[in-house]
Amino acid sequence: MSPLLELRGLGVHYRTDRGEVAAVRDVDLTLEAGQTLGLAGESGCGKSTVAMSVLRLLPKSARVEGEILLDGEDVTTMSWGRLRAVRWAQASVVFQGAMHALNPVRRVGDQIAEPIRLHGGKAKVSDLLDQVELPAAKARSYPHELSGGQKQRIMIAMALACDPRLVIADEPTTALDVIVQAQVLGVLSRLVAEQGIGLVMISHDLSVLASTCDRLAVMRHGGIVEEGPAREVIASPTHPHTRALAAAFPVVGDPAFRQVEPDEVRESSPLLRAEALSVDYRGRGGVVHAVKGVDLEIGSGEIVALVGESGSGKTTTARTLLGLRAPTSGRVLFEGEELPRSAKGLREYRRQVQLVLQDPTSALNPRHSVYESVAEGLRIHKVPGDEAALVADALAKAELRPPESFFPVLPHELSGGQRQRVVIAGALALGPRLLVADEPVASLDASVRGEILALLLGLRRELGLAALIITHDLGLAWSIADRVAVMHEGVLVEQGAVDQVLLDPRHEYTRRLLAAVPSTTP
Amino acid sequence: MTSIVWQRRRAAVGSTWREFTRNRGGLAGLVVLGVVVVLALLAPLVTDASGLDVTKAAGQRWQSPSAEFWFGTDHTGRSVLLLTWWGSRISLLIGLTATVLSVAIGTLVGVTAAHFGGWLSAGLMWVTNFFLVLPSLVLAIALSTVLPRGIGTIVLAIGVTSWASTARLVRAQTLSVEARPFIERAKVLGGGHVHVIGRHVLPAVLPLVFVNTTLTVANAIVAEATLSFLGLGDPSMVSWGSMLRAANLHGAVSQRAWWFLLPPGLGVVVIVLAFTLVGRALETVLNPRLRGDR
Repeated sequence: MSPLLELRGLGVHYRTDRGEVAAVRDVDLTLEAGQTLGLAGESGCGKSTVAMSVLRLLPKSARVEGEILLDGEDVTTMSWGRLRAVRWAQASVVFQGAMHALNPVRRVGDQIAEPIRLHGGKAKVSDLLDQVELPAAKARSYPHELSGGQKQRIMIAMALACDPRLVIADEPTTALDVIVQAQVLGVLSRLVAEQGIGLVMISHDLSVLASTCDRLAVMRHGGIVEEGPAREVIASPTHPHTRALAAAFPVVGDPAFRQVEPDEVRESSPLLRAEALSVDYRGRGGVVHAVKGVDLEIGSGEIVALVGESGSGKTTTARTLLGLRAPTSGRVLFEGEELPRSAKGLREYRRQVQLVLQDPTSALNPRHSVYESVAEGLRIHKVPGDEAALVADALAKAELRPPESFFPVLPHELSGGQRQRVVIAGALALGPRLLVADEPVASLDASVRGEILALLLGLRRELGLAALIITHDLGLAWSIADRVAVMHEGVLVEQGAVDQVLLDPRHEYTRRLLAAVPSTTP
Repeated sequence: MTSIVWQRRRAAVGSTWREFTRNRGGLAGLVVLGVVVVLALLAPLVTDASGLDVTKAAGQRWQSPSAEFWFGTDHTGRSVLLLTWWGSRISLLIGLTATVLSVAIGTLVGVTAAHFGGWLSAGLMWVTNFFLVLPSLVLAIALSTVLPRGIGTIVLAIGVTSWASTARLVRAQTLSVEARPFIERAKVLGGGHVHVIGRHVLPAVLPLVFVNTTLTVANAIVAEATLSFLGLGDPSMVSWGSMLRAANLHGAVSQRAWWFLLPPGLGVVVIVLAFTLVGRALETVLNPRLRGDR
């Protein structure tokens, strides 16, 4: 019997203005029914292109070569009618970004039923919802009434609607919080085991793949660099790229990933302090208490991680600490003095505390060169001295060397990691004492995450720079923080030294968070 | 350091120009515009303005086109070619100045409304909507009857009534730019309103304003012709609109004097078409999303 899915010498080229660009080169993969195959790689490595080629969902500019055998039948030579019959009935896709893949003006039940009507299937929407562990009443909801995890489950239910034998899940959990991610992964694993379908799962996160997949293929620059049983690939990677990917997702509790020297000398004088900080939003549905009585302290030269799910109020806390938003009650003290409210006072404060945003691509004005972006703060504050020398110094501190060669470069000519370094250099140019970093590596590729984190640690070592790192990733906190503060629904439920909080959690919520973290060591 | 910035800007202008020249319609429009503007500027040097004086008319009334009068003569015996030539000066002058006024008001209102928000934004948008729903021609007529006759009045009447759509456009663009994280970064760096608007918002909004300008010029020229045709222009000045008005009043149609109607009419069509072509071409160059397969 032929395997469920077999790719033979698959190559995909895109026609662009600059001629043909090879997105995928010479990929061979096989998948049997009841198996799960993980496809790992960084952005732009061609993993999504491989997935979309299976159902011929690529744009017109793509040229496909090689064979794509679905149950022994070549997809590339199928007639249009046959392809339509195969789509969804034999193989279906859980698309990336459930937030945007659902039609916002139709009830989700109707959207799940759509493929059933088109293919004349017999499945019932309520049964499908049951399979993904949602109550049947949710069929009458509109997408905006559901949470991210619920939407993702609706997408899975939709993919299962016509009893496909193959499901392709493209980054099914990327935008989800750890606890929800664990639930969605659980649903997927159970479906594979119970119904004997084949699952191809695409992700940049090796730990997600490790906890769900039997076999793993690692892609880079359009080709597969390593393939084998998931445990073996992760336990003993042979290709350096696989090793880099594995190292980018630190395991909580593993001393090998702890980058902070335990006996590093630390001053403990408090730098920034929040006392009984509360922030309310006046929304359409009344007042929302985003932050409820938070007490937080960051000592000079200390790295504190603020951990929590999305919507837990951690970003609001950070914005209030930066003075971008006035607290409803409570106060923020910098070196023992309350934050000024006047525009002039706040401007002075900005020289002390700087922000590093999540996505460096949008945090830099695309029209400004690196020099202009870094010099921006210097010009605002009219910092005396040779501007070019100060910019060069800041770039060098952010390890962009030689700095002069980066001066005329525009952001789009840089890689993601370099852009984040430019953002950091722009903050460093003002000589701040504290950096607030909002998910500083979440939008970066795995291989550069480690570099940026090492940079933050190096800055602390050399400049005594304190940092408040906001993240949903406990592994990141384990890797570089001195102290961790766990936030849940606007309240700090637990804070303390990293070893203490992450290895011996007191609060029930911290335990749940830790239990949900996918692990590369199953 | 600034030399690098200038070098890059020069390169950017160069690539914009190359992209623009690939659009044949836009290039044709630009050539037509260039010729018309040069001719309009040269008019006092090449021709004799005294020919515009009714008392010094050189020809007979209603003469059809001939070797002496290429476009024939009007009801007073003046050369239609000369009138059209001089008329282009007024049409272009009013079209351009009214546009500058309209775009300046629109940009100011749009950026202010989007940047500051709150009651100021609400108030400004209320005024903008008022100007949008009011028929601008009626308002312009009312304004030019109240104010003293003259070029300034016409410019004011057109400029003050046509800025509302620009304001809406600029406001929408400003809102989308201000939502980008680099604005937040600029604020954290300590940048105030002037810094955020001057360094980040305006440079991102201006290309759009520029495109909008070329399209507004076309509208302003039509508006000027309309107002002059209705007799609200400066009676001492010859413009294409006032020529059409004279032709209408003095029965050019019953005289079968097509040569008095066609030149100013075609003048308006050609100029408006040229500005529109240039504007559309600029739009595709500056907004790559509109760039389809040519």
